[in-house]
Amino acid sequence: MIKVVAACGNGMGSSQIIKMKIDKVFKKLGIQATIDHMSVGEARSAASSYDVVFCSASLVDNFSCKNSRTKIVGLVNLLSDVEIEDKIKENNIL
Amino acid sequence: MFKDLIEKKRVGFAEGFDCWEDAVRAAAQPLLRDKAIAECYVDAMIECIKKFGPYIVIAPDVAMPHAQGVNGVKETSISFMKVDRPVRFGESKEHDARLIFVLASVDNDSHLDMLQALVAAISDEDILAQLPTITCIGDLQKILLQK
Repeated sequence: MIKVVAACGNGMGSSQIIKMKIDKVFKKLGIQATIDHMSVGEARSAASSYDVVFCSASLVDNFSCKNSRTKIVGLVNLLSDVEIEDKIKENNIL
Repeated sequence: MFKDLIEKKRVGFAEGFDCWEDAVRAAAQPLLRDKAIAECYVDAMIECIKKFGPYIVIAPDVAMPHAQGVNGVKETSISFMKVDRPVRFGESKEHDARLIFVLASVDNDSHLDMLQALVAAISDEDILAQLPTITCIGDLQKILLQK
C-alpha cells in the first residue's frame, strides 16, 4: 500500500480532481494506494510522510525533496488518464 | 452539470481580455448577479492565482479559478465563460485558456459531486473539442443533446 497526497493551491479544487483521476488510474493498474488531498502549504510540511506527491506541474517548485524518498510528480493535464499513467510508470510507482 | 448552468443562465461569452484578472471577474459575474458569491470571493480567487501561479489551468485551454471559499460563498456553484481569444494565465502557452469554469463551495466537501460531474464532462474529448467553438447558450445545448 503506497501513501499518496494530491496537492493544489488551497486543497479543494485541482487537488480533488487529481485525487479522482489518480484513484481511477491506480485502480486500473492494480496499485493499492491511500490518497489524501491538501493545500500546497500543508503538503509541503507533510510530504516526507508520503511516498508520492501529485500536483500541477506549475506547483512542483514548492517542493524541495532532494534528500527525501518522496517522489514529486507534476501533471500538465489533470484530465489526462494517459499522462497520469505514463508518469506513474516513469516514476516507478508501484 | 451543464444543464444546471444553462437553466440558471450561468454561462457567459467574451471576445477577449487585457489581463486574466478581468477574465476571472467577468467569468464570475453570473454568480455575483445571483448572489451565490460576494465580491470578496472574486478577490480571493485572484489572490490565490497571484500567490500560487497558473496552476488553475487544469488542462490545455481549461481554467478553473477558485479559492478556499467559506468567506463570501453563499451557494456551492459553478459558472462558465468561453473567451474567443485565449486568456494568458502565465508565461507559457500551456497556461492559455479559452474555457473558464469558476468554482465556489460553501465548505471543503459540498462541491465534490459538482466537481466530479464537471470533470466527467470535460474529460469527454468530443465535448472538450467543441466547447471552444460555441458562441451562445443554444450551441452549448446542442453539444449536450448529441450526448
